Amino acid sequence: MLTENFSRRTFLKGSASLSALLGLGVASSQAPKGLIPKAQAKTNGKVEQFYNACPRNCYDTCSIVTTVEDGRITFITGNEKNTYTKGRLCVKGNTYPRVVYSPDRIKYPMRQKGRGSGNWERISWDEAYTIIAKKILDIKKEYGSTLPICLNKYSGNFNILNYATEGMLSSIGYTTRAQGTPCDPAGSDAQGFDMGAPYNNDPEQFLDADYIILWGANPSWTSAHSMYFIEQAKERGTKLVVIDPLITQTASKADEYIQVKASTDGALALGMIRYILDHHLYDQNWVNQNSIGFNDFFSYVKKNITVEWAAEKTGVPKPVIERIAREYATAKPANIWIGFGMQRHVNGGAMVRAIDALAAITGNIGKKGGGVNYIGEETWGFNYYTMGFGAPEGSGGEADRYVSMNNFGAQVLDANDPPIKMMWIACRNPMAQDPEPNVVKKAFDQMDLIVTADLYMNKTVEYSDIVLPVTTPFESVGVNVSYWHYWMNVNEQAIKPLYETKSDLEIAMGLSKKLNQLKPGSCTFPVTGDPLEWVEKELNDDIKALFNVKSWDDLRKNGGTAKANESITVAWKDLKFRTPSGKYEFYSKTAAEYGHHPLPVFTEEYKAPSEYPIRCMSPHWKFGIHSQFQHQDWLMAIQAHPFIEIHPDLAKKKSIRDQDIVKIINETGYMTLPAKITKMVPADTVVMYEGWWKGVNYTENFTVKALQEDMGEHLKGQRGIAFHDNFVNIEKA
Amino acid sequence: MAKKLGFLVNIERCIGCHACEISCKSFYQLEPNMRRRRVQELPEDVVGTPVRAFVSTACNHCDDPACKKACPVGAYTKREDGIVVHNQDLCIGCQMCGKACPYSVPMFNPVKKKMDKCSMCYDRLDIGQLPICVEKCPLEAIQIVDYNEVQPSNAVREIPTFADTSITHPTTHFILPKPGKQSRRF
Repeated sequence: MLTENFSRRTFLKGSASLSALLGLGVASSQAPKGLIPKAQAKTNGKVEQFYNACPRNCYDTCSIVTTVEDGRITFITGNEKNTYTKGRLCVKGNTYPRVVYSPDRIKYPMRQKGRGSGNWERISWDEAYTIIAKKILDIKKEYGSTLPICLNKYSGNFNILNYATEGMLSSIGYTTRAQGTPCDPAGSDAQGFDMGAPYNNDPEQFLDADYIILWGANPSWTSAHSMYFIEQAKERGTKLVVIDPLITQTASKADEYIQVKASTDGALALGMIRYILDHHLYDQNWVNQNSIGFNDFFSYVKKNITVEWAAEKTGVPKPVIERIAREYATAKPANIWIGFGMQRHVNGGAMVRAIDALAAITGNIGKKGGGVNYIGEETWGFNYYTMGFGAPEGSGGEADRYVSMNNFGAQVLDANDPPIKMMWIACRNPMAQDPEPNVVKKAFDQMDLIVTADLYMNKTVEYSDIVLPVTTPFESVGVNVSYWHYWMNVNEQAIKPLYETKSDLEIAMGLSKKLNQLKPGSCTFPVTGDPLEWVEKELNDDIKALFNVKSWDDLRKNGGTAKANESITVAWKDLKFRTPSGKYEFYSKTAAEYGHHPLPVFTEEYKAPSEYPIRCMSPHWKFGIHSQFQHQDWLMAIQAHPFIEIHPDLAKKKSIRDQDIVKIINETGYMTLPAKITKMVPADTVVMYEGWWKGVNYTENFTVKALQEDMGEHLKGQRGIAFHDNFVNIEKA
Repeated sequence: MAKKLGFLVNIERCIGCHACEISCKSFYQLEPNMRRRRVQELPEDVVGTPVRAFVSTACNHCDDPACKKACPVGAYTKREDGIVVHNQDLCIGCQMCGKACPYSVPMFNPVKKKMDKCSMCYDRLDIGQLPICVEKCPLEAIQIVDYNEVQPSNAVREIPTFADTSITHPTTHFILPKPGKQSRRF
């Protein structure tokens, strides 16, 4: 695991591919265990096609068509019937055959003798269930409740049936839960205060936009299917503006790129607002009819904000701010997409409120092709039937207890009365994805039992006691929707589960069966059931009407994908906001109740400590979604190791050349990484990308502290993590 | 008149995502290290202002293919429509073609002990389908053009990093990216 002695030496040892880069001998470690050659696969030729849904934590949540020949997947591609997926997948989705047939799949339940030792032994499912069930019952007996059992599950698979894991834990009694999301909380709270909820326009409406500002969003890497619509709009004459501290792949495609100093986007929005107010370019009718608190906000801006100040603060020249403000205010409709990365700062929520205000005063909210688009959850109204069984009679405690997912290690260690003794981890990789991984490791050390359900031997599995092998989307059934587009996608079982893998739903039933064998009545979760029946139970009348489908099976037979009724694809079309006043709230009493200023005011950014003056950002990477995909050999063959991007001026100052090994240091310790010298990053910032590279001892979060964003409690229960307010120093290793 | 089929790669649209390369690898079930299409990074200053720019290339189905000349067993043929086809059944894996190609297109497959390269999916073209990379590019940045019919006015044959085209006369053409306006802090 990563420790403070995570030295260059161990780094090199862990990376055969990096050794190759450094000329230490080319190890062709990637044994060519390819799929069956096509000619052979076609022998008996029973060809079938199935609909699948990509369930990853991704805007695009694609509808997939899977070709199966003689029981084996031979091709996986996009579904042409889905006008957003358009028959094509992103690079990650194209690797799915390899995801299924990877030599790295965990094949059987296993028990590790000595956490982190790698000393795994194969056990049967019955043995695994028995060990786990006995521990649950022992804990319940010793502590009088199941609160010492903690679930940490999140976004690795957003199939609605995967909520069976939460349901299983609820079915044994009250437990401790990792609550919140590291993803969108500050921005979602901001939109919650302004409009009552985050709610985005259909991304296919980029084609209807007259002007597009991508504000801290990089869809070229994180939402390739949206990028198609944006590129098409651009070719038809829509101006594309990208505001970002980094010259991202998307910024490289912009008609105009504006490099803003990180975490000062709120100042830029407020500067634009000042110019728009001064020049009467705002929509007086819109604010009069649809908002409250505009005059208070207007006064605040007139008194506190100038364009000069905004230019000074953001590094964007005054004439640029003025021109962009005028262009944005006069284009109809103008579309803003706020990326999640932009709000991963201590003032992220305040910045989103300022950008929302910019869209509101120009009357761009509620318009087709316009909007201030961030995230949405209008299509998620499933029954969540798997979560509804409740605690068995005689369960100790009164309710579940929450620890923050965003300061997980420390809060698990702090939990007392009762302490946390057992952890269940599913659809998550906290050892790689959490800030302060060394603190998470300490929390793991305190556990009597750690159970992780996963596909591959990732950092979290490496530090678990029992691993349960799970199915890929192609080996189980389900249904998926997106937090961005407006489609619902069915997921059929295309092939039999490989090896001894099981879905989270089957695991829930299996564990319940064992618990009830050992102690009848100890778990309310059903012990048997057909997943096809379970998935049908997720669709209620409202969701069937919204998507105009009769049933899951009906959708399966008719294209596998359905788009929601047009009535919901323009956010806030009826201008009935879900705020207490029913209006857009420039002045939000709810915000004040959560301790924030009621207005979208400027909030200072986090300041670099003098000994660690360089900002280290860790954005999403094109070959991965969090720690998924990049570790596959198809992608390792393209990019074999992580790297750190450094501006030539900073590199010169530190005497670092391209591909030198660089030491990245802050209070948490240090790590080493090869340098990529590039003008894509500013000279006060370095960038390393999120991901798990197989065989490389790396997590981008090693130097990230559990610093909170300003918002998140209102809608997500917990504040987010200011991932991008990570400050470091660098030197040549 | 016979066709002269070639790739037209729109670098202005390309986001460097490698979906073309991986969809090809998936469709043909290639070994993990085999790359019939490759996406490569272009110099950052390719359009003047610094940008992330990539170019996707496969076999260039040259007018004067060096692979065909170098092959000692006649495994290469050039079809009437211009597609350069490598017949793996005839290939002896001597790798002469890979050495001769200025673009290092033919790759040695260590499992089959044969060379391997892009066929422009001619079997798909023959039944009216598009090559996989063309069909699967999320940005529709790759096309097949009959250069005997059309000479796109905005296309060029040479880009930085691409070998001298006078040797083998590749048919691949490129649409160069347009520089955007930038307001940078440094």
